[in-house]
Amino acid sequence: MTWYVVIAALLFTIGALGVLIRRSPLIILLSLEIMLNGSNLALIAFARHQGDATGQVFALAVMAVAAAEVVVGLGLIVAMARRHLELDVDRMTSLRG
Amino acid sequence: MSGWVTTALIFLPLATALLLWALPWPRLWAGSVATLVALVEVGLWIASLPRFDFDAGLQGEQRQSWFSDLNASYHVGFFGFSVWLAGLTVVASAAAIAYAWWAGRDRPRAYFGLMLFLEGAVVGLFAAQDLILFYAFFEAMLIPLYVLIGVWGGPGRMRATLTFVIYTMAGSLLMLAAIIVFGLHENTFDLIDSGTGDSAWVFLGFVIAFAVKAPLFPFHGWLPDAYREAPPEVSALLSGVISKAGAYGLLRIAITKFPESADDFRVPLLVLAAVGLVYGSLLAFQAPDVRGVIAYSSLAQLGLITLGLFAGNDQGYDGAVLQMAVHGLLSTTLFLLAGGIERRTSTGEFALLGGMARGRPALATLLMTTGIVALAVPGSAAFAGEFLILLGVFDQGWVWAAIGAGAIVLAAMYMLRLISAVLHQERGPAVTDAALDLRPAELGILVPLVACVLALSAWPAAISERAFAGDDATGAVEAQFR
Amino acid sequence: MSAAAWVCLLSPLAAALAITLAGNGISRRAAGYLATFSTFVSFVASCVVFFAMLGEHAEERVHVTTLWAWLKAGDFHAGLTLQIDPLSVFMMLVVSGVGSLIVGYSIGYMDGADEERRYFAYMAIFVFSMLLLVQSGNLVLLLSGWGLVGLASYLLIGFDQHRPAAIAAAKKAFIMNALGDATMALAIFLLFWRTGVVDYLGVFDQVDGLSQTVVTLAALGLLGGAVAKSAQIPLQTWLPDAMEGPTPVSALIHAATMVVAGVYLLVRLHPVYEAAVHVQQLAAGLGALTLLVAGLIALVQTDIKRVIAYSTMSQIGYMFLGAGIAAYGNAMFHLMTHAFFKALLFLAAGIVIHALAGEQDMRNMGGLRDALPRTYYAMLIGGLALAGIFPLSGFWSKDSILASALAAGTYGRTLFVVGLIGAFLTGLYTFRMLFIVFYGERSAYAREHLHDTSHGEGPFSMTSTVAALAFLSVVGGWIQLAGIWHPLSDWLHVVAPPKVEPSALQDWVTSVIAVSLGLGGIWLAWLIYVKRTVAVPRVAWAQRTLEHKFYFDELYDLAFNRPAVWISRTLYRGVERPLVSGSIAATATSVREVGRTTTVIQSGYLRSYALALMTGLAVLAVLFVAFR
Repeated sequence: MTWYVVIAALLFTIGALGVLIRRSPLIILLSLEIMLNGSNLALIAFARHQGDATGQVFALAVMAVAAAEVVVGLGLIVAMARRHLELDVDRMTSLRG
Repeated sequence: MSGWVTTALIFLPLATALLLWALPWPRLWAGSVATLVALVEVGLWIASLPRFDFDAGLQGEQRQSWFSDLNASYHVGFFGFSVWLAGLTVVASAAAIAYAWWAGRDRPRAYFGLMLFLEGAVVGLFAAQDLILFYAFFEAMLIPLYVLIGVWGGPGRMRATLTFVIYTMAGSLLMLAAIIVFGLHENTFDLIDSGTGDSAWVFLGFVIAFAVKAPLFPFHGWLPDAYREAPPEVSALLSGVISKAGAYGLLRIAITKFPESADDFRVPLLVLAAVGLVYGSLLAFQAPDVRGVIAYSSLAQLGLITLGLFAGNDQGYDGAVLQMAVHGLLSTTLFLLAGGIERRTSTGEFALLGGMARGRPALATLLMTTGIVALAVPGSAAFAGEFLILLGVFDQGWVWAAIGAGAIVLAAMYMLRLISAVLHQERGPAVTDAALDLRPAELGILVPLVACVLALSAWPAAISERAFAGDDATGAVEAQFR
Repeated sequence: MSAAAWVCLLSPLAAALAITLAGNGISRRAAGYLATFSTFVSFVASCVVFFAMLGEHAEERVHVTTLWAWLKAGDFHAGLTLQIDPLSVFMMLVVSGVGSLIVGYSIGYMDGADEERRYFAYMAIFVFSMLLLVQSGNLVLLLSGWGLVGLASYLLIGFDQHRPAAIAAAKKAFIMNALGDATMALAIFLLFWRTGVVDYLGVFDQVDGLSQTVVTLAALGLLGGAVAKSAQIPLQTWLPDAMEGPTPVSALIHAATMVVAGVYLLVRLHPVYEAAVHVQQLAAGLGALTLLVAGLIALVQTDIKRVIAYSTMSQIGYMFLGAGIAAYGNAMFHLMTHAFFKALLFLAAGIVIHALAGEQDMRNMGGLRDALPRTYYAMLIGGLALAGIFPLSGFWSKDSILASALAAGTYGRTLFVVGLIGAFLTGLYTFRMLFIVFYGERSAYAREHLHDTSHGEGPFSMTSTVAALAFLSVVGGWIQLAGIWHPLSDWLHVVAPPKVEPSALQDWVTSVIAVSLGLGGIWLAWLIYVKRTVAVPRVAWAQRTLEHKFYFDELYDLAFNRPAVWISRTLYRGVERPLVSGSIAATATSVREVGRTTTVIQSGYLRSYALALMTGLAVLAVLFVAFR
């Protein structure tokens, strides 16, 4: 049990560091996925431990949301790439007030 | 008096306002329709008066459940004093609307709709017997005022509106908080069903909200700008009618529902009222323009009315109600006259005015009469009100009455200054021959108002002994107007 | 009887309303006739009341009639109530009688003046207010009449609206009177809370049960009103300035009726004053002081109307003296004769002023005896009556007051001496005026401006009034001959029984001394201004003091006017502007500052937001673990 949680925490941390440090939107999206998977692992592990299916249902819901997010996020990134925009989150400031 | 009359008094102007906004009336119709409706309101009020039993309590009552979960309902009705205040509202509004119609305003549909909406909201405020309803009407009254000052006001209107909004919003929030605390504690928002509260904080919340609205010293920061910048008929309503909403709230809610707190805070509130009275009078004495004098005198008068309300005896309550009605009529007339003067000379500055009496007998007679009654010359209606108030407050301590009597001397000083600066002495540079005497239409609006004041001077007891059930003000207040 | 009393009260009011509402619909002349007629109706109604009352037994002559409840609140009740008794009938007769004479005189005097209609409307309002004052049956209505006569006086002093001096004088009169109204109101409050009533009879019933402090304070408050209205020290400075008004106004309001209201008040409320003896004595003392001070100031005045105004103050001082030593009948007697001869003096002076195209400065007159012989004789009668020379009316009334003072103990004897000095001064200043105006060389101004008087000295309405008043000034005093014949005192006895009765010896002594002093004053004036054998002694400081009227105006300006202006300016600068502009500026600034501070966090970098999020999460996690 402990190792599941440790791995989940590691995955989450790696993802979080990736979101914080990297500038490329693609990598940030990847890191987000890693964070989501980390939390999914934790959810399933605890569900198993408790003998309750609720956590697994949540994990399924998270996957669905993650899939939708990837679709939208990748779509946006592809659109930006097509317009030859620089793929750097710090430079995407045209909506900033 | 039937409950439907009450509802009609409230909703006739509100409904007409909605119709004015919603339907594409020809431009010229808006003013006529509004004036007509305002006159119908006056007729309705007069017709209901003989059927009103001044020896009984709440009448013209109507009650419909509104938010049953909150025990809030549409509950309206009139007491003796509120029927007089409602009368003041319909009369003053009719005069103001008729004046605006005569003077002509841009975007008439919007303008007259707002004026009617304001009238309906104020009548509703005086009739509401449920705190949530009271609050709704209180806010409904403020919204048209923001727009009327902000859109149709003078050059400094934005600043005036901003000040007004900030002050009234702060006051309203405090009142809302106080209403919620009180209502949840009592488990009803109904003013008749609920008992008395004992929280000093809730009391102070109400008092500050009403003090901002009245306004009382030192919450009058919005007053000079708003009274100067608003169109004259809006200033007339602000000072004549809306300010009475604050005093009414003090009487109907703060004093009756919190008798212990009202007693505990009597002296501080009397001090504030007396300071306001003297302060307003002194500032009126140095104000450089017509509206400034009327505005600060209004502040002083509200201080006086508050003195009466917190005197805590029959004379104080009766005098306060009488004075509310009389001052309402007077300051409506004065602001409309100020409007007339500004229309003719395009200024209200004393330095530019003067000598207007010569060749303008109607203007001179009306301004003189109104001004002289307003300075409470003995024998006038305003004198009757001030006499009762000071008589009442004398019982709390002679010093209050002495301050009040001194302020009446100051009132003579500033009112005579206004009269002679406008009417007398050498002709001012802004006064040309093109500045005509009052036109018949203006006379048609102002003469009835002055006639009301003079009639009240002959018989002030008409209001003073009919303000509370059976002329027992203290008893009625202690019984919380049940 | 009560119907007649109401007619008497309301007829001038109706005339005022009619003139106001008719506007240009009636001619100027018609307005004058209407006002005169309405005042005359009041006089007839007063006579009806008088004769009806004459038929009644003395003890039954007090009637109270109420029209409706004027003001009511809880226990407080003040009706629109008239009290008709010998005192009010006496005053009604004086007010409406002299009033109709003077309003009639105005028809001629104001002929051709601008806005005549307004003038007559104001006059009618005044007569109504004055009648309300003397007829009212309770203190609240008394105060109403009190305030309304002040208002009418304000309106009439400032009748020439474009003259700043007239307007300033009008305002001054109104505000000083408002001060008196305020102290009266306070006294009424006090009386109401201690007795529960405000009608005269009710208050008088209970006045004995009141504590000394209460009754003293109440009497003082009421005295404040009396002093302001009657221009006694210390509230006297408005009366000389009030001479800016038209001359008939000065005659009616500032000589014959309104200014003596204070004396009426002292007599009417005598039970209160008798309960507060010290205040009554104070009133007598103030009267004596005023008669002396006003007599001295009158010696140096150059404006003919101001001389008469100061003499009015001085004569009212005598009345205060009389009322203050509880010689009520004699005070009222002097009030009546004074109304006659002072109105006569003013109206005769009015003819002089009229003839000289509005000039009031005596230095521009002189030698008018030939041009205006009848006016001269009228003024001579008025002057002799004023100086108290036998057998004119002033002799009987003034000497009766002085004799009563002689009979009123040590304090009374002190006042008696002051009164005698006053009698000497009266002779001196009155005949100084008379001699300067009518004797000597005509001034250049008079030669140039004097109208042609060969067709008479004025219109009939003016000369007839003056003649009637001259007649009254001669015979008016004969209704009460000290010691022998006193119907007036008997008439008033049921309302205000006097507390002092001078003996026959005291009457004789007083008369001899007072008349000789009065004659002495006249003789001195003769020597100085006609014979010119005696020069006026030059004492610079004394003359300066007198010309500055003992510096009262300067003192009040320094003590009240300037501080009020200063305080209001300071409040505006120190409190109002910071509060109004300050509050809004502060709100705006604080909102902007908060915004500026918080924009720093809004960097727009996704990473920094995420970092904040993570940090928060980490902190929460640690907290959860630590405080489980």
